[in-house]
Amino acid sequence: MKQRITTSMLASASCMAVAAALQFAITAPASANQKLVELSKSNENWIMPGRDYSSQNYSPMTQINVENVKKLRTAWSFSTGLLHGHEGTPLVVDGLMYVHTSFPNNTFALDLNDPGHIIWQHKPKQDPAARSVACCDLVNRGLAYWPGDGKTPALIIKTQLDGHLVALNAKTGEEFWKVENGDIKVGQTLTQAPYVIKDLALVGSSGAELGVRGHTTAYNVKTGEQVWRVYATGPDSEVGIGDDFNKANPHYGQKGLGTGTWEGDAWKIGGGTNWGWYAYDPETNLFHYGSGNPAPWNETMRPGDNKWTMTIWGRDADTGQAKFGYQKTPHDEWDYAGVNVMILSEQKDKAGKMRKLLTHPDRNGIVYTLDRENGDLVSANKLDDTVNWVKQVDLKSGLPVRDPEYSTYMDHKGKEICPSAMGYHNQGHDSYDPTKELFYLGINHICMDWEPFMLPYRAGQFFVGATLWMYPGPKGDRQNYLGLGQIKAYNAISGEYKWEKMERFSVWGGTLATAGNLVFYGTLDGFIKARNSDTGELLWKHKLPSGVIGHPMTFEHKGTQYVAIMYGVGGWPGVGLVFDLQDPTAGLGAVGAFKNLQNYTQMGGGVQVFSLDGKNPYDDVNVGEWTGKS
Amino acid sequence: MKTMLTGLMAAAALVVTSAPAALAYDGTKCKAPGVCWEAKPGYPEKVAGSKYDPKHDPKELQKQGDSMKSAEERNKKRAEHFKKTGKWVYDVSKIQ
Repeated sequence: MKQRITTSMLASASCMAVAAALQFAITAPASANQKLVELSKSNENWIMPGRDYSSQNYSPMTQINVENVKKLRTAWSFSTGLLHGHEGTPLVVDGLMYVHTSFPNNTFALDLNDPGHIIWQHKPKQDPAARSVACCDLVNRGLAYWPGDGKTPALIIKTQLDGHLVALNAKTGEEFWKVENGDIKVGQTLTQAPYVIKDLALVGSSGAELGVRGHTTAYNVKTGEQVWRVYATGPDSEVGIGDDFNKANPHYGQKGLGTGTWEGDAWKIGGGTNWGWYAYDPETNLFHYGSGNPAPWNETMRPGDNKWTMTIWGRDADTGQAKFGYQKTPHDEWDYAGVNVMILSEQKDKAGKMRKLLTHPDRNGIVYTLDRENGDLVSANKLDDTVNWVKQVDLKSGLPVRDPEYSTYMDHKGKEICPSAMGYHNQGHDSYDPTKELFYLGINHICMDWEPFMLPYRAGQFFVGATLWMYPGPKGDRQNYLGLGQIKAYNAISGEYKWEKMERFSVWGGTLATAGNLVFYGTLDGFIKARNSDTGELLWKHKLPSGVIGHPMTFEHKGTQYVAIMYGVGGWPGVGLVFDLQDPTAGLGAVGAFKNLQNYTQMGGGVQVFSLDGKNPYDDVNVGEWTGKS
Repeated sequence: MKTMLTGLMAAAALVVTSAPAALAYDGTKCKAPGVCWEAKPGYPEKVAGSKYDPKHDPKELQKQGDSMKSAEERNKKRAEHFKKTGKWVYDVSKIQ
């Protein structure tokens, strides 16, 4: 039974949620969190998409290094049996690898001693209608792990495209709880990897292309109970804005802007979903993520700054309340959805002061570094010198100084706008080497033409309002639609790029850095590559069965270092290939840009695992053999 | 549905393309902290009643909120039942 909802009811619900959160904060033990932190320190585990709470995707392992990486060979592989795009990376915990898939979001647990044996598999039955409201292929970005506490078993937590968040027993795969976090009838889906902090499972939302109002929610892992929920737009009480919000940077804006920077009730369908990655600092108890684009893409239909879409958040993990919010692209005109990875580091700023930082390569072509304790803007540099919608970001005001020549608006076709709506960086989970103080960034090199059109809002239907044509950026080959990507090594303090290399297609999935002086990444045309992380020199590559849109990870098992990567082309850059589309403006403009991708790879998902000389459990030929009835 | 370009809007478009940068929206002229949006030359401050009025249907705008509220209520019943019984029942019609 649906009930009408009023502002006062929402405010009341929000107060109750906050009260419940406070109660939880007082009573919750920190042991689960400490256990997770300890697990993440072991080379034998990879317990979250970015390895640990810093999301650095950095491993201190050196067994595989610049001297011997050429000896990497396939150790073993696993086909997921699904064809659509495979983003993210597997988890490894206590000798098991947990593998996620595209829709219908199957999950597999593999025994690292005998990876040919599937320990358990979870295959949810979902409403197939979910496929029709997915924005950009049928991807999923991964899993979360909660370590258990003796009373409640260890859990694998997953999202389903149909809007459900599900907790599974990590040892058996049995469903422990299953909650509704979205409703496909109003366009809400889930593609994100959930995130565990203490005894909370955090999850965002997808569907801004259908006018979904973005939200972030925390559930008690032990009970499935909602602890808090905050939105990207709307009244302060629902956005999680209190008296001390942006105290250090009041010029970012403070109260009343989640409704005041929208016309009428447009904030109710204003987007700001978050389907990207989280990072967390246990010392500040703040977690960080970005809210996405405002809806619709047609900017003329939504006057105002459209807060708090496109915002880097620092929120209290126990309550969801925001300590700071910095809006990178006020009144977005290009779909520069701000959900990308947040990588935490501790570095000295230009004045020599050691600071807790977060670095975020944004869709809008700017890589931002903030003081993650208070939101101070430390640096904001272009990901490539061809970014043209913005002249610079004023570090004092935090405002982008836009070039009106590349604005978009009704009755006008904007041309040669860089980056395209795909951004110069998208969902790829990148890496940071703390010993070199370098970020390794997978880049899109794509520009666009953009023409808005009017359309009505209907719940559950696409609500975009723009036609896009995409093509390689100025450094690419526009005749042949190649040269659509780059990989770069970036210093966030100096603002300099130590090295950069062009790629045939976008480096969509992200990077892995290791103490072996290596950076690994996958390519859309189906290679995993290793470069010298000091120089960018290409040292090794291997052709995979399909293109890559996920990021590599590494783990140690029984003394051997392995590198693993998911393959399975798709995602936004692959929509033309996976759905066999020809119109260059289809797939929100991606089909034209990637029309050549089909000549390099085809569909098919799985995991491939590498080691030096291909060392693997089956070197002992008796492993995995059936020895007859006992 | 693409809106036809009228003579008036053609003139506005000319203003946009030929106006000095100081007159165009560059996002730096703030009325208040965090409030820096300006209408582009020739375009309205408010779209209601203009040719760009999306004419949102309040019933459609309400649907997401209604859906979220009902899902939260169902989830609450599931979690409460789970805490009492240790058994997760998804179908709320089967929860006593």
